[in-house]
Amino acid sequence: MKLKKLISLMLAGAMVLSMTACGGSDGASSDSGAAADSGTASADAGDAGDAGAADETPASSGDKLVVWTLAKDLEQFAEYYKEKTGTEVETVVIEPANYVTKVQTALNGGQKEPDIIVGEPQMLEDFYEAGYFEDLNQAPYNAQDYADQIVDYVWDVGQDADGIQRAISYQITPAGIYYRRDIAQTVFGTDDPNEIGQLFADYPTIMETAQTLKDAGYRIFASDAEINYFSGDSAWVIDGVLNVDQGRKDYQDLCIYLYQDDLTAYANQWSTPWYQAMAGEVPILTADIQNYADDSVDVWDAEGFAEATKDLDKTEVFAFGLPSWGVLTMRDNVQGTSGKWGVCSGPAYGFGGGTFIGISSQSERKEQAWDFLKFCTLTEDTANWWIEKSEGDTVSLIPVLEAHAEDKNEVYGGQQLYKFWLEQAQGIDYSKVTRYDKFIGDEWGRATTAIKTGEMNKEEAWNNFYDQIEATYPEITVNR
Amino acid sequence: MAKTNVGKPKKRNLNRMAYLFVLPFVIVFLTFSVYPVFRTLYLSFTSYKGFGDAKWAGLANYIRVFKDKFFWKALGNTVKIWGVNIILQLGLAFLLTVIFSDIKYKIRGLSVFRAVYYLPNLIAATSVAFLFKTLLDWKYGSFNQLLLTLGVAKEQINWLGSTSTAPYVISVIGAWMWFGNSFIMLMAGVQGIPTDYFEAAAIDGAGRWKVFAQITIPLLRPIMLYVFVTSLIGGLQLFDLPFLMNGVAPNTAGEPSGCLQTAVMYLYKFGFETHQVGYASAIAYTLFFIILIVSIIQFKTLGREED
Repeated sequence: MKLKKLISLMLAGAMVLSMTACGGSDGASSDSGAAADSGTASADAGDAGDAGAADETPASSGDKLVVWTLAKDLEQFAEYYKEKTGTEVETVVIEPANYVTKVQTALNGGQKEPDIIVGEPQMLEDFYEAGYFEDLNQAPYNAQDYADQIVDYVWDVGQDADGIQRAISYQITPAGIYYRRDIAQTVFGTDDPNEIGQLFADYPTIMETAQTLKDAGYRIFASDAEINYFSGDSAWVIDGVLNVDQGRKDYQDLCIYLYQDDLTAYANQWSTPWYQAMAGEVPILTADIQNYADDSVDVWDAEGFAEATKDLDKTEVFAFGLPSWGVLTMRDNVQGTSGKWGVCSGPAYGFGGGTFIGISSQSERKEQAWDFLKFCTLTEDTANWWIEKSEGDTVSLIPVLEAHAEDKNEVYGGQQLYKFWLEQAQGIDYSKVTRYDKFIGDEWGRATTAIKTGEMNKEEAWNNFYDQIEATYPEITVNR
Repeated sequence: MAKTNVGKPKKRNLNRMAYLFVLPFVIVFLTFSVYPVFRTLYLSFTSYKGFGDAKWAGLANYIRVFKDKFFWKALGNTVKIWGVNIILQLGLAFLLTVIFSDIKYKIRGLSVFRAVYYLPNLIAATSVAFLFKTLLDWKYGSFNQLLLTLGVAKEQINWLGSTSTAPYVISVIGAWMWFGNSFIMLMAGVQGIPTDYFEAAAIDGAGRWKVFAQITIPLLRPIMLYVFVTSLIGGLQLFDLPFLMNGVAPNTAGEPSGCLQTAVMYLYKFGFETHQVGYASAIAYTLFFIILIVSIIQFKTLGREED
């Protein structure tokens, strides 16, 4: 009988213990194997609906600082930090689709880890409101002392509604038009960034430029989404009212025109032909392939793509619209066209993404976390190292940007890119960013697609767009 | 007397032991089943966004659900997919039940057939989605190739890209996955009917259809009710197949034209994409009440003669 009692007590105890382990993280280490050994872990497993998946990540790391991030960059920062300070940092890279849910699950559950969390601009407002980020203006951080060292818009993005500094980014991400200098010379007789910038000055001019390039046997863009980063001169929501300004409508008209008049190579952003267009000739795909209505060519399968498109006409693409981190994308894909590229301004100031680093308000290693944050964002040595390591990423630390202003990037024919990006960053107005941008932007994109493919007329697509906004965010007033 | 005095404490100890043995289950049940149910109910009356305080919102979320035309459209899509699915699923299951239960046929190897029919139910929805996406590929899918070769179709049919076919494709796949389960349930029900009834009917000269309509169907009513209700619950919660078939590529969830957006996919959008947890909870409870009401109606109609 005693044995039975003992077994049942043990069973009940094991159950309670296992449940406790699910709920909390501070205490004994329950690291998941290789992740802890290497100092990095990845929680990017597929199912976006797995709200409890944060439990898969290492629950505790002993004395190590724990970083949850969307960007793999921070793994390299962590390694460099260890090299410099001897302090180990455990970096957990989480798939963007799952990131917000995982952070919410962990911090709402009162977990003391992660010590460092990051966010992209569109998710920061919610994080600030939730109180996830530590107030960096208070002692011992006194972040305001560093305000003049960071590019203005990045500093502003890191502040909550009360102007309290919550996060800082190590990079700036202003957008630019990346163009082929050799094609520019052939078609327009110049490759000067200022003059080429004039060809992208506004939407009607872009349409003319597109036609000129098509007549010369080229395509202006690989996809019709290249101007997206420059598409809004004002915020989507102003004082709780949906704002579809003329710039948005003109952008939509441009996309429809580019699509319907066969002015792009119909290569979707991030698909195989889109990357290939950076290196030279690509097949001119059909509109149906771009819409996935015709899936005879799998644009995501690099190996099968060449075989499937060998009989199609070829063209070369003139330009790509990307933020400054596009320098890294181009670096990896330009191949034989290296040295033939230039960067100029687009029809408006814009920016895309950026990783903002903050300290979790529930961390028990805040001083250590601040040291790491400062190391990544406010240390000149690190910024210089990152420029070299990343082969061209654009840092946010003004003294370093100025020191590199004269640097020439050979992929871009020796153009001084840091000087250019700093100028572009100074024109960015962060007040245009709202928490609704992702959803509204996606819905506007859907409306654009529906119009350009003839699925709906403009009135139907716009009404559906307005209906979607009203249904999803009832707090936004929609004036049709 | 002495005997009873000795026996009583032992009985009490045994009772305590029983409580200890069920304790792990009770703890898990309370934590992972009961608590989330009540927590979701509470959240459905708040404007909780996944963080911060859950501010009381009264019935606002439920009023919003009733006014939200996209929710009702999603529910309509779900009912359409489930409706076709249940007809096919039960139809096929019934047909097989009739064949296998007919005492005149005496088909051998029932257990083998039962296992084979049940197999699709064991395949992960991810694999099923991938398999059918490949088979139904517009240009190179085997199914279209077969139709073209046989001359049934003159050109390729875009099964998953057209609003007129995509929902029914999901229904058919669902029926293929789950008919084996319904078949097992119905067969179990048939095997529970005493063979005397069938033999007596045969002696009295009743035909096959008469036996099925007058004996099998009435006596299967409780099982049918169970199959129908469980199918309804599963069907109205449909998420994985439509999500995996068309929702994986960027911005294609629910496409084409939103006809594959089910009620639970709509819930997912608010719970995990726009982080309106309060509203997502209200959608969940609205679905719960709809399922409850339809189930009660089914009990009242199908179960009436039972009473």
